[in-house]
Amino acid sequence: MAGEYVEGELNIKPMAQFDVVPLFGGTEVHWYTLTNATLWMGLTVLSVSLLMVAGSRGRAQIPSRMQSIPEVTYGFIRKMIEDIAGKEGMKYFPYIFTLFLFILFANLLALIPASFSSTSHFVVTGVLALAVFVSVTAIGFAKHGLGFLGLFWVSSAPTVALRIVLAIIELVSYFVRPLSQSIRLAGNLMAGHAVLKVFAGFAGVMGAGAVFPIVAITSVYGLELLVACIQAYVFTILTVVYLNDALHPGH
Amino acid sequence: MSEDPFSDRLKRLEDRIESARAGRVERPSPGAAKFTQSSLAWRMVTELVAGLLLGLGIGWGLDSLFGTRPVLLVVFVLVGFVAGVRVMIRTADEVRAGKSEGARLPKPGK
Repeated sequence: MAGEYVEGELNIKPMAQFDVVPLFGGTEVHWYTLTNATLWMGLTVLSVSLLMVAGSRGRAQIPSRMQSIPEVTYGFIRKMIEDIAGKEGMKYFPYIFTLFLFILFANLLALIPASFSSTSHFVVTGVLALAVFVSVTAIGFAKHGLGFLGLFWVSSAPTVALRIVLAIIELVSYFVRPLSQSIRLAGNLMAGHAVLKVFAGFAGVMGAGAVFPIVAITSVYGLELLVACIQAYVFTILTVVYLNDALHPGH
Repeated sequence: MSEDPFSDRLKRLEDRIESARAGRVERPSPGAAKFTQSSLAWRMVTELVAGLLLGLGIGWGLDSLFGTRPVLLVVFVLVGFVAGVRVMIRTADEVRAGKSEGARLPKPGK
């Protein structure tokens, strides 16, 4: 390719950005080690609380710009819960709102160059999805007792044998949901960031031709911004849909 | 003195806001609509694959437990696949009922 660039070797490591490394030296990662993942999740929590607490501090009748961000976000999630799960769902608003904000901000902070994308790890999204799974199941059993198991019993099937087969399928499909929820969030984030890195690697060796990868990076970055918001929204709406299943287990 | 002049103006302003709002909700941007549809498609694909993977995992685990290597693996891969299809169908139902991410899209018939 372009001869004027001396270190002209293709050196693309798109997955290196996802490495979890200790912040203060050392190579081993124990459960108590402060890593870049810890740092960026902490920053996520910090920025969420900053925006929400400091933003709504004014409590003005006519909101300032800072205040209208929490208000609009609140209204958005509130409407989502009321539309899907009804009034009973509002009891769980704090949890869902926290979940949405955490994922949204983790996704958005990951777009800062040289940052660490915590939601691109299956460990993180898996725990988030498992928490949703466990709490939704617990809510279902607490509200309906053993009647919650009726979710798996398709009483419209003609024979008992068929119902048992369908019950197994329904049971497995119930477990599919947290898995697909977590795979989707992490997969989307990871794929997008890896693509960015690959294009950036091309830009390094193309000399003046680097204009093209840079334009590509710019557009992919715009797309990633959209993905970051949509995936947070999708994760949240799925949580509400599952919550609705637990509150109203009838098919 | 039947009407306060201000309440009349306020009412007109409210009407204008209302009509402006009604006009805005009807048309989401076409780009976003397309994106939501593709995200919906991805959701269904992930559900299908997740079902398969889960079936594979369950089958593999039970097989190592009972020492019947290929039998339960095959059975549960099939069960997982069907479960994945089931989740997909349920997703489609949610979209049709207007309870999912595709809910804000204009209906194709209208």
